[in-house]
Amino acid sequence: MTKNTFSRRHFLGTAAMTGAALASPVYLRSAKAAGGEVNIWTYNDFVPKAFKEQFEAETGIKVNVRLVDDQGKQFNLLAAEAPNPTVDIMTVAGHRFLQFIDSELLAPLDTGRLSNWGNINPTFSESDWATINGSKWGAPILSGMEVLSYNTEMVSAEEAASWDVLFSEKYKGQTAYIIQDMMSIVMLMLGYDGNMVAYMDDPEKAAAIVEEAKQFLISKKPLVRKYYDGGAEVQQMFVNQDIALGHSWNGPAAALINDGFPLAMSIPKEGSYGFVYTYNIANNAPNVDNAYTFLDAILASPEIGASMTKASGFISTYKDASNYLTDLEKASTSFPEEQLANLQFFRAEANELKYNLVDPAVEAVKAA
Amino acid sequence: MSNDAAARTGTDTAAGTKPARTFWGGLSVWAPYTALMKLATASPRRQFVILAAFPILWVLTQHLGPMLQMLRVSLTDAYPVAPGVEQHFTLDNYTRFFGERIFWQPFFRTLIFAGVLTFCTLILTYPVAYFLARHVSRKNQMLMLLLLLIPFWVGEIVRTYAIMILLGNTGAVNLVLKWFGLIDRPVPFMYTTFSMGVGIVYLTALYMLLPLYSALEKLPKSYSEAAADLGAGAWTRFRRVTLPLTLEGISSGCTLVFLISTGFYATPVLLGGPSTTVFAETIAGFFHVAGDEWPTGAAFATIMFVTAMLLTGVFQKLMYTLRKGDTK
Repeated sequence: MTKNTFSRRHFLGTAAMTGAALASPVYLRSAKAAGGEVNIWTYNDFVPKAFKEQFEAETGIKVNVRLVDDQGKQFNLLAAEAPNPTVDIMTVAGHRFLQFIDSELLAPLDTGRLSNWGNINPTFSESDWATINGSKWGAPILSGMEVLSYNTEMVSAEEAASWDVLFSEKYKGQTAYIIQDMMSIVMLMLGYDGNMVAYMDDPEKAAAIVEEAKQFLISKKPLVRKYYDGGAEVQQMFVNQDIALGHSWNGPAAALINDGFPLAMSIPKEGSYGFVYTYNIANNAPNVDNAYTFLDAILASPEIGASMTKASGFISTYKDASNYLTDLEKASTSFPEEQLANLQFFRAEANELKYNLVDPAVEAVKAA
Repeated sequence: MSNDAAARTGTDTAAGTKPARTFWGGLSVWAPYTALMKLATASPRRQFVILAAFPILWVLTQHLGPMLQMLRVSLTDAYPVAPGVEQHFTLDNYTRFFGERIFWQPFFRTLIFAGVLTFCTLILTYPVAYFLARHVSRKNQMLMLLLLLIPFWVGEIVRTYAIMILLGNTGAVNLVLKWFGLIDRPVPFMYTTFSMGVGIVYLTALYMLLPLYSALEKLPKSYSEAAADLGAGAWTRFRRVTLPLTLEGISSGCTLVFLISTGFYATPVLLGGPSTTVFAETIAGFFHVAGDEWPTGAAFATIMFVTAMLLTGVFQKLMYTLRKGDTK
């Protein structure tokens, strides 16, 4: 009896694996067994587990993922290893390209080696920030934005229409945010350009604006429950009901919504910022060929893009990826048109000016 | 010839035949080896040098090496060095600390937290160590110590998350309080000085407990009995006999806990709130920032290290004076 059960399970397991293989993208089935490895630094859930297993099985290339949770940390890790890094593929946000390029940490992307490049929505692959010095530097995979997330059982949609609610006495001790990200948003709230591009020729004005934003956040410090750093932290605070609302990236919030948590997101009327995560190849990457094989494979089908969205909550940059999402998943990764109108993308031009002012201000807010 | 001697010389007296020599047996009679051993053990001084070489090398490469590298980085103006950038030596990273008051607050906050939490840990663990050393049978002491060690089988982060599960709004403490009808709304324990303090005391308790247990366990019970015979009450016996004779354990425990507490990073980040930022977070901020802020972070780490060592030195000196005073 036991033997029969095992055989049946074994058969069912084999059948399921065969079915999955047959249903997999053509690219993977035809991939040659290349062997070796590819080392990737990326965020949690950015490499779908099923894709990774299938890719490894069909190409013989072992995928080593090292998780990162911050662009700055990733930059420092790479800078410390340059000029001979151990990593092949990193995950750089589009607005951080310049910094990596200036430090010679990224290799230009040879899109001619990516037969599936055309599967990316041109809104992302061909936008102005994607081309620098005449070259592409990354393959856009997921798009995110800074949103106001709120527990729908505690906060109303009307209240969440403005960032002001995050600093209201009503929700004292029930809010959380990432200070560095909030600095840009507070600048928007105060009527300034949070990208600071408008003040590139006026450093004094830029400094005064950052000082104003800093003083604003210091004055609101008694109201906040927690300054956090990563998506998992804010998810945990919502689940434990330690907070009722907070600033977050849309990805972690969408993941909670998809899990059935009573959470919603808004892009408040004062505005917010969007960003695009890209996969990039490191300068002097040790396994360049395997890196291109991986990139082409992960771009192969909208299903893979959809699975990245399902796992991470961020919006896929792949054409037609939304066709593979459930209604709830679609709802958690889309926003009303009037809210999207409040969104602008982070820009990199004034990053040096901006972060030279913002980074000490963040420390000052923490220390105050 | 005894069996041992036979084994040493590699001969077999019973059979009268010469067995195959083992590697170690062969090595022990190999002329270059015996000459080297003779040379190495020729004098006690030489023996000491050879014995000390490995630990010294270990300390230099594994402990002092990284700290010296940190010191070197703290004296530069750029690290990691970007292409085309020339690295220079400078003291600017140190003057930045003394010139900007915003960094003083987390610095002093850390020292005060560490001092207060060290005292709390001492107060909380001394009775446990006392009970363990004086009132638990010798046979059960090891079992009790093993039980106390169980939480240390998992890492710092896991134990910190355990505290979060206890103290969160939907955590065990709030559930119990609610169940007894003591509260209507959850008490916000998390992300406060309280939750951070609980976490640090929990994580460092064993570092205090073991030196205290060791000091108390060595203390003969007859001392207290003699004091009792002379009419000393329980409090007097503790104050005049037990406490002074366990000052060494207190000193070791407090030093360990204080130094560990000044360097905690993950626990304050996970359990602390907006007003509990410690200096380790400030230092980490410089290493996270995508730029040439590593030298500043290294300088700040050096400042904290030197300050913690100075304070510990003063504390040790004070305890030494106290111990000397009590033995006079």
